[in-house]
Amino acid sequence: MEKVSSKFLEIVEQLTFMFGEPTPRTELDLEAETFVLARMSFTGDLAGSLSVAVPVEITAEIAANILGLEPEEVDSEEMKMDALGEMLNVVCGHVIMCLVGTDANFVLNSPEEMPVDAAMLDEMAVSDDFLGFTLDDSPALFGLTLEN
Amino acid sequence: MAFSILLVDDSATVRAVISKALFLSGVEIRELHQAGNGQEALDVLENEWVDLIFCDLSMPVMDGETFVATMNERGMLETLPVVIVSSAGSEPRVARLKALGVRDYIQKPFTPERIREVVDEVMGVAQNAD
Repeated sequence: MEKVSSKFLEIVEQLTFMFGEPTPRTELDLEAETFVLARMSFTGDLAGSLSVAVPVEITAEIAANILGLEPEEVDSEEMKMDALGEMLNVVCGHVIMCLVGTDANFVLNSPEEMPVDAAMLDEMAVSDDFLGFTLDDSPALFGLTLEN
Repeated sequence: MAFSILLVDDSATVRAVISKALFLSGVEIRELHQAGNGQEALDVLENEWVDLIFCDLSMPVMDGETFVATMNERGMLETLPVVIVSSAGSEPRVARLKALGVRDYIQKPFTPERIREVVDEVMGVAQNAD
């Protein structure tokens, strides 16, 4: 998971200009925020899914940084969710090639974005598939679930 | 020379980012068309003149690889350059797409400079061939 963690931070930084660091999930104040989740599956030499959960409040900043806009210019929820999904999409391709190599055969499915309820957040907070991060002072969870 | 460009990606964010990168890198644009998947792109090509296509791979309805294969079957790839913009381009997949006739591959995330470099190379080749 160390390689995955580094790749996640590297790509998020390149794409959104937001800086992050791995943070134990027990140190993240998850209850103070309302989270949204982007999740996407992939098949091929490596099959599974990737997820990222971030506070709703930072989705405007993510979208603005990707699009080269000011956060206040990102006024559509659809745009914010689409940008979060695109961030995960880019991370996903790089994470797979980081794990399996650049000659890997794989297909990415389109990301889905959804609100996170308390039960989902509790599950992500304890699951071995998830890592905790601080992203520009905000808590974030990033998960990799592999089939087989 | 100003180009008519078609952006094919199911993410409006990506289409906006490529548009901005084209603008920032100084590529002259006559018209910018957009499509959310390969089928929509084929529909655009039925009605519009296009000089260059930027296309994603992973899309619903018709993905980028099927779109490129369809263009190849219709003999369109010889005259209409396609550049793939994706994070899902493993080496064998990119090689397969280039064998079909795709001109270049841009890995996400990309810079405006990379977009400009590819436009110059691809359209320069197209102009020299004229």
